Amino acid sequence: MIFRVFEKKELKNFFEVLTVHNRIVGPVEAGRDKKNNPIYSFTEVSDFNNIKLDYTTTKLPAKRYFLPFHEDLSTFRIDNGDWQKTIDYNANQPLIFFGLHPCDINALNKLDKVLLHSVYPMPYYAAKRKNMFIIGIDCVPQPFCFCRSMGSDTALHGFDMFITDLGAKFFVEILTDTAYNFLKNIKKEEPREKDHVLYMKAVSERNKKFTTKVDTTDLAKILDMEFQSEVWKQWGDKCLACGTCSNACPTCYCYGVEETVDIDLKGARKTKMLHSCNLIDFAEVAGGHNFRAERHSRLKYRYYHKHRGFVEAFEESLCVGCGRCGESCLSGIKVPEVIASVRGGKVK
Amino acid sequence: MKPELKFTDVISQQEKTQKRKNDLSSFEYTYRAEITSAYQLTDMETLYRLQIINPDERRRFTFIPGQFLMLEVPGIGEAPFSISSSPSIHGEVELCIRKAGNLTNYLSKIGRGAVVGIRGPFGTGFPMEEMHGQNILLIAGGLGLAPLRAPIAYVQENRSHFKEVNIIYGTKSPAHLLFTYQYDLWSKDDINLNIIVEKADPSWKGSVGMLTETLLKILTGRDDAFYSNTYAIVCGPPVMFKFVCSMLNKFHIPMQKMFVSLERRMHCGMGKCCRCNVGSTYTCLKGPVFDYWTVMNLKEAI
Amino acid sequence: MRAKKADTKTYLGIPLYRPKVAFFEFSSCEGCQLQMVNNENTLLDFLSLVEVVNFREAMTERSDAYEIAFIEGSITRDDEVKRLKAIRKNAKVLVALGSCACFGGVNQLKNRFKNLEWVKKQVYGKHPIDTGAVRAVGDVVPVNLMIYGCPIKKEEVEKIVLDLALGKSIVVPQYPVCMECKANENICLFDLGEPCLGPITRAGCNSWCPNSGAGCWGCRGPAEDANVEYMKKIMKEKGFSEKTILERLDCFGGFKTK
Repeated sequence: MIFRVFEKKELKNFFEVLTVHNRIVGPVEAGRDKKNNPIYSFTEVSDFNNIKLDYTTTKLPAKRYFLPFHEDLSTFRIDNGDWQKTIDYNANQPLIFFGLHPCDINALNKLDKVLLHSVYPMPYYAAKRKNMFIIGIDCVPQPFCFCRSMGSDTALHGFDMFITDLGAKFFVEILTDTAYNFLKNIKKEEPREKDHVLYMKAVSERNKKFTTKVDTTDLAKILDMEFQSEVWKQWGDKCLACGTCSNACPTCYCYGVEETVDIDLKGARKTKMLHSCNLIDFAEVAGGHNFRAERHSRLKYRYYHKHRGFVEAFEESLCVGCGRCGESCLSGIKVPEVIASVRGGKVK
Repeated sequence: MKPELKFTDVISQQEKTQKRKNDLSSFEYTYRAEITSAYQLTDMETLYRLQIINPDERRRFTFIPGQFLMLEVPGIGEAPFSISSSPSIHGEVELCIRKAGNLTNYLSKIGRGAVVGIRGPFGTGFPMEEMHGQNILLIAGGLGLAPLRAPIAYVQENRSHFKEVNIIYGTKSPAHLLFTYQYDLWSKDDINLNIIVEKADPSWKGSVGMLTETLLKILTGRDDAFYSNTYAIVCGPPVMFKFVCSMLNKFHIPMQKMFVSLERRMHCGMGKCCRCNVGSTYTCLKGPVFDYWTVMNLKEAI
Repeated sequence: MRAKKADTKTYLGIPLYRPKVAFFEFSSCEGCQLQMVNNENTLLDFLSLVEVVNFREAMTERSDAYEIAFIEGSITRDDEVKRLKAIRKNAKVLVALGSCACFGGVNQLKNRFKNLEWVKKQVYGKHPIDTGAVRAVGDVVPVNLMIYGCPIKKEEVEKIVLDLALGKSIVVPQYPVCMECKANENICLFDLGEPCLGPITRAGCNSWCPNSGAGCWGCRGPAEDANVEYMKKIMKEKGFSEKTILERLDCFGGFKTK
């Protein structure tokens, strides 16, 4: 691994060098909530002053850049009773992600496992993912974060470079030659022993700030044991089945496909829409039978996929512990509480 | 050097063969296929024969009994269908389709000569070769005969490799019976055909009752060698699986020799959309054909 | 405006069904019908799919030879009941167009008043009209299809009509507005301290109101499996009064609160 340190003001220079030739996505303040706290979101930025690198977390992940809510998988030209299919992976330009937290980087690494490195890799994802340049940045753990329990509090790979705030300087871990070459444009130096000390201090300070824990011991097994548990029904009674948890989740990738005919009848399209396993029609088949007609069975399924199915397939959970789902759930259904209730046999 | 990212074209990096599972370009690739015949079996079900148009693709297209494919009518929809024809025919498949929704209703309108898209084949199949030298119970309820027709065709074509073969087929009424024109041929291939309907009509001379009654008769009083050397393939509605499989289990048919085919909603067929998940298992990748031991370990399967 | 004469259209070789359609307004603002003609880009394509025989907002000719009747508005007078029943007899397919037709719409708010005489006086003054309680179209005659919204979303109507012409089944979202609102990356209205019925209201409007910063009023009625009771509890916990909550739920008549 190659490490460097650079003066804080150099980051702005770095941004400005990059923005000349590239599109950059970063965290910005999208508004204020009723208590006047900032609400952050990922969006395309061209002015360094708009990027809020000290952001807590964004309401929604940067998912729309690699798993858009809607995208056409293919289009058809309809002519004289016949058709021609055109496939477009909907990516045409690289994107720089300026300031992703470790949880969001780990989310991409998890998605890679199923969407890139499994049988039938998904080109729509691949085309976007392979064109991402990621600058990671350390976060300040929030009360709702439980990434440490999920093992996603640090990112080992899946980024090009990762910066850590050392007070007066930034410490940067360089993972790719692209990042190394890009960094030639700013003043930086090799870290000295005192920088290492500062880095380790920063890391341990950060670790102290994690407050929420989830006990994941034997979780896959326990979920199987408690499949019929009453707690699911209790959570199901609260669930609004609105799909917000999935939309706020950086790893939810389930989708639905719809085909529509253009109103001029000259074309048609096959559109992919991100779906949520909490929505009523998720498991409904032609003819009307619904394998998960009840809210609690769908909510349970979401936990099954994240904390059991994915573990079975890839030996890790699909949840990164970013806490976004719990924060955005109006019913206050939060992963740490749901899992604690399954383990404890009752909802607190 | 200019600090500018270069666009990575994920497709140009690989061969454009569009045939292998791990090629990105195979993901959304559809074979253009012509409906060469549409033969109405009952009021609700029609047998469609599809032929892949491109001769190269046709030669390469193979499947194993039990696998399914995704059939697409542009602008109308796409859905999974199990293949119900002989696996020895390349590039041509027959699908027995019930009018149950948008796509299937439209298919019944476009009929012979129309061009549709197909992707696949997908999923697991019945391990027919593993069954060589054994007895086979082919058990179908209702539309379950559709996926069963592929293994039946295999058995016919390889009849000498199997010992006693029984088809046990139950439907609501005689009017619901599928593939009636083939029954004679099956019998001539020394396949015992046991048909039972829940409700007879005046012309019906066969058995009336539940499929499990027939199955019970066939299973009762056999020796241990029969039970331990018998494979069962079970296709039909979930409620039927339950009764049939537990009966087979009672007679000590090995769980790894009992196969079922599950039906779920599917939007991709490739382990991505998650709509077909049973518990946390992708029906499209690990199934639709599962052995009974696996099914017992799946939550919410039957 | 005249319905365009078109050759028989086909899709993938299958001739399209080109229905004769008629639009009728009952107690309403006629805003839904206005929406229909308010889409210049696709209007001609749309009109070539159907043969409009009756559309007061857009043409003068009238005819009773129609297959599909679009009914806008709620039913509030005896003469309306009579007229609606006659239309039902004529039409093969009767479509309730918009919230008033589907649920009674804003009009049904008057049903909350015990003394309708007072309402009439307030509304009509010295020119009284004899009106009764407001009913949804479906409460008077059988309805084959509901097109939700106040107003309806023209893109959705176009899709529905196209699907009818193609012989496709009509699919409306079963999930709530929240799905669309998140896809549009709006800030949640509850974060801003605003009430919103997005979590329980049927989607299909592309989160029209929340996109412009206004909370959802539930004009499209409940989503399938909407958890209305828990939603009320949440709103209460968020500090909204019983009155605020009921006003929202009652506004378009889609949620049965009594």
